[in-house]
Amino acid sequence: MAAAAQVGGHLKRALLLILSVAVLRAETFYFTIAGLGGEPEYEQRFSGWAKDLDKVLHQTEPNAKIKTLYGPDATKANIEAYFRQMTAEAKPDDSVVILMIGHGTYDESDYKFNLPGPDLTASELASMLDKLPATHQAVINMTSASGGSLAALGKAKRVVVTATKAGSEKNATVFARYWIEGMRDPGADADKNEVVTALELFRYAEDKTAKYYETQKRLATEHALLEDAGKGEGVKAPSAENGEGLTAGRFAMLHLGSMAAQSRDPAKLGLLKQKENLEATIDDLKYRKASMPLAEYRQALQRYLLELAKIQEALDK
Amino acid sequence: MRALTFLIALPLLAQIPAAVEPCAKMRLHGNPQADACYENLTRSADLWVRAEGLWGVHNYKVANDLFRDLVKERDKDPALRVRWGYLYLDHWQTGTAGDLFAEALNIDAKYVPALIGLARVAADGYSAKAMEYAKKALELDPKAYQAQEVLARVALEDNNEAKAREEAQKAVDLSPEALEAMSILATIDWLNDKKDSPWLAKILKVNPHYGDVYDTAGHYFVINRRYEEGIALYRKALELDPHLEKARAALGLNLMRLGREDEARADLEASWNAGYQPTESKNTLMLMDKYKDYDTFKTPTTILRLGKKESALLRPYFQEQMDKAIATYEKKYQFKLGGPVQLEVYPNHPDFEVRTMGMPGLGALGVTFNMVVAMDSPNSRVPGQFHWASTMWHEFSHVYVLEMTHSRVPRWFTEGLAVYEETAASPDWGDRLESEEIDAIRKKKLLPVSDIDRGFIHPSYPEQVVVSYFEAGKICSFIEQKWGAGKLLAMIHDFAALKTTPETIELEFKMKPEEFDKQFLAWLDAQTKRTVDGFDDWKKTLRTISAFAKDKKWDDVIREGVRIRDLYPEYVETGSVYEFLADAYAGKGEKDKEMAELARYSKAGGRSPATLKRLAELQTSAGQKAEAAATLERLNLIFPKDEDLHKRLGALYLDLHNPPAAVREFAAVVAMPPIDPAGAHYDLARALKQANRIEDAKDEVLSALEVAPNFKPAQKLLLELNVKQ
Repeated sequence: MAAAAQVGGHLKRALLLILSVAVLRAETFYFTIAGLGGEPEYEQRFSGWAKDLDKVLHQTEPNAKIKTLYGPDATKANIEAYFRQMTAEAKPDDSVVILMIGHGTYDESDYKFNLPGPDLTASELASMLDKLPATHQAVINMTSASGGSLAALGKAKRVVVTATKAGSEKNATVFARYWIEGMRDPGADADKNEVVTALELFRYAEDKTAKYYETQKRLATEHALLEDAGKGEGVKAPSAENGEGLTAGRFAMLHLGSMAAQSRDPAKLGLLKQKENLEATIDDLKYRKASMPLAEYRQALQRYLLELAKIQEALDK
Repeated sequence: MRALTFLIALPLLAQIPAAVEPCAKMRLHGNPQADACYENLTRSADLWVRAEGLWGVHNYKVANDLFRDLVKERDKDPALRVRWGYLYLDHWQTGTAGDLFAEALNIDAKYVPALIGLARVAADGYSAKAMEYAKKALELDPKAYQAQEVLARVALEDNNEAKAREEAQKAVDLSPEALEAMSILATIDWLNDKKDSPWLAKILKVNPHYGDVYDTAGHYFVINRRYEEGIALYRKALELDPHLEKARAALGLNLMRLGREDEARADLEASWNAGYQPTESKNTLMLMDKYKDYDTFKTPTTILRLGKKESALLRPYFQEQMDKAIATYEKKYQFKLGGPVQLEVYPNHPDFEVRTMGMPGLGALGVTFNMVVAMDSPNSRVPGQFHWASTMWHEFSHVYVLEMTHSRVPRWFTEGLAVYEETAASPDWGDRLESEEIDAIRKKKLLPVSDIDRGFIHPSYPEQVVVSYFEAGKICSFIEQKWGAGKLLAMIHDFAALKTTPETIELEFKMKPEEFDKQFLAWLDAQTKRTVDGFDDWKKTLRTISAFAKDKKWDDVIREGVRIRDLYPEYVETGSVYEFLADAYAGKGEKDKEMAELARYSKAGGRSPATLKRLAELQTSAGQKAEAAATLERLNLIFPKDEDLHKRLGALYLDLHNPPAAVREFAAVVAMPPIDPAGAHYDLARALKQANRIEDAKDEVLSALEVAPNFKPAQKLLLELNVKQ
């Protein structure tokens, strides 16, 4: 019961924070980099994914600052230049999302992101991230051997996702394909609050990647991890128990609906408050489920959900 | 796999120390003093004699160590290696035994006991090489009756009783103590319902405790799918020799096959505990332990066993096909089964293999044991490689034919009919014409109808089993087309009346088998001529098309693709002409033509989920929703573990106002389990609402909102459903 109460507490806090993300929404910088393919097939695949990401971001987040580098432009110099620009422009409340696609290598000491010309090491990337004023940071490293970058990039409250669990997983990855698919698929918004968080996208892409290997009857050569507690070690299944996923659960990667507009309307703040209270009540009820007769639980759930639906109906008018 | 008792006769198969011979003879004659005799040998100063003694008292480990040391010392002695090889054969390790026999042959290429050993190993693996080795042994030593025995065994496995009898008789003529040959002769009598075989008395006169005679017979009844009789024979073997643990294990395995698991476990465990521990027993016992991870669903006519993790998803599809197959066959074969059919679906292919172990032939997709069918789960294979419904209907055809004939049916006919039934159920099911079969037709490698069983049991080239399935299926199609399906039913009754294949052919078609073969080959030639003649051109051009496609030379792909597509229309595997053409039309932006090409692919039996989904997408965009649903419905019978498939199909059925089908599809999404549980429950709620199942719909929408309380469409539906109430 203690564990359940703790989980409930986390969820409630997460809900409140998601709401606050919506209310106090600041600028988000999306920086996508597709590295060197090496072979025409990979060049095409990596730049194709980068273009797909660029497109979905422009469609979903038209007001965000979006920068995409691929092909010969994806050089270390250009990356450093854009980091300098972000350092100059970003504010503490802003968010920065770095999306990395391509091949990576790991030499037992540092991870390298393969680029045309000099490669970028994880340490160098970490150093640039540390200089950013924006406190909300997410690095989605979807390259091969990306697990090797976790130790350098990991930092408390920075979301780091890697496509592989270690630098030794060297085969080309498919994780990026499913991350992009998740950004397009409303189904990735598991709690249907119209905000797709980094945690939701991670779970989506991780599940789809695992199913890809299972379905193809191939030995999985990539095992995605998430780290946001600064432990330097990622986990496959973030949870309250392992202390991972709390920041990622609050980190809005995409906004799908009208919640942001509603939150800016002072006339609706009262309804929003009622909604927030009801959500907390439902949350509590769910965590008491195991200790209640099922019929009683379902009855109470229906009552609260009906109330919530009516409030939402009023909000949408 | 078969297990033979080598310990009895084997000392005679190689040069052995004179001190061992009395013990070997005692054992051969069933003399209870044999154990004491061997025990004495264990104290011999001669290490070979001591090793033989230890083997004789079943101390395999120490005997093995001694043989290893001896072989090191006497590196050039073939007899020693052959004896060591037989120890391994006796200990169920045929691979190592074969290696040792081969090594002995390297030392002396004319060493007959080594050739006989290799013949036995090959016979154990149902390899046609058994005959080769045995014949060579007889060339070198015409008195090697054990080689004659191998020839008799192989002939009987091919259902060639006359040859088996002839070879076995030759062995008996060479040695009045050729117990295995006499067992074959007794088996032939029993297979033909001649209960009082004179050979039994002769065998028991040599060895009154020779339970192997029934064990041998049990093997032949089982490979002829006469499981109940096989089980009875294994029991008799144990009555005669209660220590014949290989018979007890075989009894357990066959009880397991018929779904009598409690009895099976008792026998397998007893033989295991008594020291008989081959891999088959171990695997089967381990498989039994896994049955707790399965769900079982029963109806009056069916028992369905599915893995717990996939039962919610698969059950509706399997139950529907089982019911359809039973209704179809009941009408077609004019026969009602005496009880429910049990279908076991294995999510892990190795578990299914344990179920099939010991069966000759492919056995790779499904297997029937009287009223019990075991098969791979569609989820255990790469999507697109396996049409599970086709396999299930194939196996269910066996259930009917085996029941109707009391398993007295030649393998070629039951397999051929089952293959025929796959495409009879739906033209896009079943296997397509493959290159192996084209090659066999070109090189005239198809077997005469009277001899086709050989292709199933002892293939003489690697593809012959597959080719034999194809040929047998085509023979049934030929009969159905020329004389009607009634003749196939009549043949089932003929076989049930114990007619042979030649007798049945003559009775039903009023012609000799040779004339039947002639007519069948002419019919097959007319059917396949275009493909067979054009195969080389097709193959060469396909490579060119592939290169054109790589360079996006779409007009060239279309020109060449259209030219060769119909040379080999049945080719729907990866890189088919249909797919190249569809890509080319897509590249040129001609969606109608792309759709038409993919529709051809689907009609020809194409199974790639991605390709069929693309077709459904095009059909949906063109407003052909019913056609799109039909396309996706095919995938349910190929690879149902696909969330996207069920979502798309459910949505189509909602649009087509087919709520029961929409409910089935969205329930499948919920059962996956899905990546988006809230969305899945919501979709199911919508379908249930359309089906006017309001209370169920409310339950589902609550489940959706329980996961995601702010899910707006679900909130709206909840309000609507409660207003209705």
